[in-house]
Amino acid sequence: MTNTPFPAGFSPVQTTGFGGFAGPVMGGTEADGALFLLDIAPQHLNGDARLHGGMMMSLVSIVMGEVASRTAAAKEAGSGAKPLSLNCDFVSAGETGERVEGRAIVTRATRSVMFISGTLKVGDRLLMSATGVYGIKAAGAK
Amino acid sequence: MSEGNTTAAETRKPIASPVEVTPPAGFVAQALHDPFEALMGPLFERVEPDGSRVSAFVADERHLHADGYVHEGMMMTFADAFLGGAAWRGSGDKPCVTMSLQASFLADVARGATIECRTKVEKKTRSVMFVSASFTVAGEQVMTATSLWKVLGER
Repeated sequence: MTNTPFPAGFSPVQTTGFGGFAGPVMGGTEADGALFLLDIAPQHLNGDARLHGGMMMSLVSIVMGEVASRTAAAKEAGSGAKPLSLNCDFVSAGETGERVEGRAIVTRATRSVMFISGTLKVGDRLLMSATGVYGIKAAGAK
Repeated sequence: MSEGNTTAAETRKPIASPVEVTPPAGFVAQALHDPFEALMGPLFERVEPDGSRVSAFVADERHLHADGYVHEGMMMTFADAFLGGAAWRGSGDKPCVTMSLQASFLADVARGATIECRTKVEKKTRSVMFVSASFTVAGEQVMTATSLWKVLGER
């Protein structure tokens, strides 16, 4: 499955530092919004040859973080978002060679915080459901 | 699901990390058997005089967000690795897998910082371990975590 090319229009997100080193996570769009893809490779595994829990949380944090940052920037140019809290539920295991699909939606946004809900799936199988609360940084704020 | 350390892992050869990092004072490098932890490592450990354990890693370029601070994914990977070890030891060396992990991010963590983690088993039943943890940099708390672990083979 990892030999399957990524769909047209997909390109790596968070390519510097952690995202680039842990990934690559590919980002693109589908009918309903943003879609993120990760092909599970040997470096993403745990000692049991399954997708490592840390990598699952890393992937969902990249998916939800991208959606949070883009939503904040769309409302006010230059503003961003940082996680205040993340909750990750491990529903099932990912296997090497599988392509994981990540999606996230903003369930509510106020002036200062955003509530985000995310999922990781392989086909119809849910691997992880997650929620995050993000603080919105105004443009120019640290 | 992530695997805690298993007894089988004890007999396997540790996996080397891609960079060498000098252990913080009093710490030794942990033997890592999970490829993803080895990729992000080294991770360090220290046993206190009272027998409790402290884990640590030193933040470098590989762990950072574009804003220059440590990525939440790295913090949660570190949490998964060390809280899993605490669940495993607390359950009497039975393999445990993560069911749920929640983290609160209290402060930014800069490049070069040594992040320490201390864990506490809040409750154990036959099949579930409840583990909490505090993460500090130079004594300042930067993250807290709570987690639930399934003890494999128990119901």
